[in-house]
Amino acid sequence: MSGDIVLAAKFIGAGLAMIGALGGGVGIGLSVQGALQGMARNPDAYGNLLTNMILGIAFSEAIAIYCLVIAFLMLFVL
Amino acid sequence: METTRKWRWGVNRWIVLAFIIFSIVAVNIFAPVQPHIQVAAENITDATLNLGPLGKVPFANTWTTLLVLDLIIILLAWSVRQAVKKGDLVPHGIAGGMEMFVEVVYNLTESAAGKWAKKIFPWFATILLVVLVANLMKLIPGMETIGVMHHAEGEGHAIQSLGGNAYNLLPEVVECGEGYVLTPFFRAVSTDLNFTLALALISVIMTQVIGVMAQGPRYFTKFLNFTTMFKKPFFGFMDFLVGMLEMISEFAKIISFTFRLFGNMFAGFVLMALVTSMLPIFVPSMISMFEFFIGLIQAFVFGMLTMVFMAQATQGHGGEEEHH
Repeated sequence: MSGDIVLAAKFIGAGLAMIGALGGGVGIGLSVQGALQGMARNPDAYGNLLTNMILGIAFSEAIAIYCLVIAFLMLFVL
Repeated sequence: METTRKWRWGVNRWIVLAFIIFSIVAVNIFAPVQPHIQVAAENITDATLNLGPLGKVPFANTWTTLLVLDLIIILLAWSVRQAVKKGDLVPHGIAGGMEMFVEVVYNLTESAAGKWAKKIFPWFATILLVVLVANLMKLIPGMETIGVMHHAEGEGHAIQSLGGNAYNLLPEVVECGEGYVLTPFFRAVSTDLNFTLALALISVIMTQVIGVMAQGPRYFTKFLNFTTMFKKPFFGFMDFLVGMLEMISEFAKIISFTFRLFGNMFAGFVLMALVTSMLPIFVPSMISMFEFFIGLIQAFVFGMLTMVFMAQATQGHGGEEEHH
């Protein structure tokens, strides 16, 4: 019985940890929006904007990835 | 030209159809098994390597992959060397591809780092190449699926003999102590935290070294900022606190480098394993495509961030540049 409760708590915890991916999603959306607007107004800046956009995406994605790592730790390690 | 292209398309379509039918047949013969997922790399044997003061190191299955990775990179280097020895001004094949790669990467470095490009470029290109090959090796068939069977401690799967010493896992879960789990020979090297941590440490430590090479001891005033402390008491103290934050952010860089690559690649592995065991026909190929893309992006991001941090370290921070 107690094992079942611990298992259920692990799954709930993993699900709750993934709420943090919300922030990463919003961040990626905002950075791509900004970059696309910049590209549409100034197509010459395409390459420069693209690399910087990917860097920004990587930074905000890292936050979501931390949540994912925590969720994996709860599911497979603890 | 036009007709040849149309003809190729026709053939490719039938190849895709043949692969789909083949996968349907294969799935009916060998049912897909949901694999045992473990965050740390599995050990192939129980034997350990004694490193003296460093303690005993078990043989993890990312080691074998790392050896193959090294072999691939050495072969690349060797083939480029052969092409250079031949003396062609316009290299073909692998050497041509590598020349393009180096040129693109060098131009990128030069546009960000200016005159320090020569110092920064080797680190950028090496990290990019190693992580790229490591991520793309994950897509080789047989990776993470061929290995040694051993008795499971918890729940395991039933096995079926394929003749000789070969066995196949069956999807049925059996009781504790009787089941088997698979320890693959090859596991993608980026899904081992040690590999990503080592790369992150190399990247961050070499950033400090390049910073010191560029600015001398003045580089450390970025972290312990006493320069304005006595001239402007309040803002000087704020500058000192900002320096402390800079120091913390160096350690945060190690963590974020490590977990970005590890998290992406491990998430890809889990996604691949779960999708393959649930929808084994046609969908895994799309996931493979997605994984290819993610691998490319993550390798680029790892190298690019290293390069950008190194380029930042060679420049002093804004306030001091104005005094000169």
